[in-house]
Amino acid sequence: MKILNVYRSAPDDTTKKLVEIVTRDRDADSFDLNVDAPDYDALVDKIFAADQTICWW
Amino acid sequence: MSKSLGIFVTNPDQFKHVMGITKAAKAKCSKVKVFFSWDATHNAKKEAGFPELCKIADDVSICVDSYKNMGYDINDIPEGLEEKAMATQAQHGIIIEDYDCYLSL
Amino acid sequence: MEYNKVCLMYRNQDCTIDGIRSALGLAVENMYAYGCVMDEPKMEKFNELQAESLEMLRDMEGDVFATTAANCELNDLEPITIEELGEKLREMTHIIPYGIIKA
Repeated sequence: MKILNVYRSAPDDTTKKLVEIVTRDRDADSFDLNVDAPDYDALVDKIFAADQTICWW
Repeated sequence: MSKSLGIFVTNPDQFKHVMGITKAAKAKCSKVKVFFSWDATHNAKKEAGFPELCKIADDVSICVDSYKNMGYDINDIPEGLEEKAMATQAQHGIIIEDYDCYLSL
Repeated sequence: MEYNKVCLMYRNQDCTIDGIRSALGLAVENMYAYGCVMDEPKMEKFNELQAESLEMLRDMEGDVFATTAANCELNDLEPITIEELGEKLREMTHIIPYGIIKA
């Protein structure tokens, strides 16, 4: 199971804890949307490659 | 064949990402459906790019109950949408059930 | 047939009610749908319609959890810790951090 964690803002302690548990013993990747010019092409590739995408607050 | 992508939007501040991701997915020949709920229905009236999104994506709809709750007249259909796109939460169900990939924004 | 299991998480009082409505909408579509009210501030007391929505969700094997005792007591929500929520999320096919975080 490959999880993609997408972050709309810098993750706080609660989000970090949930990510840690959800991705435990699983293949995980991440993408930061909270930048000036996100590489949407790369993000879509990552979404298509993942089994589950979680877009955190 | 590219995977299909469904996007569920509940945050009104994410519209530029909705556009960016939709454009990138369409460039890969993906089928894209976008559904706006709650606060994010403001995007349909306040984002200048909303009509363009409706042209680019394969299917765009908004939650009509949310739209009403945000203070809009349900007969005031946003530019780019048809009346049938003033829809219910069932559209969210379609995204989950029928699309290969899911993204919430 | 494998049924989808969806959990929506709310960290903003303003979108909690709509988020629960959204969970109910998915339960109607034959999914296992859950909601979780996280953080402070304290929720407002459910009105009759909102309390009925919660009951309908539970009738369809869904539920709404809350991470604070005050919110659980006020609206009859199931208590859950962040650690327990994390474990529950591992079972989900779809995880939805709903809306925005109110500062």
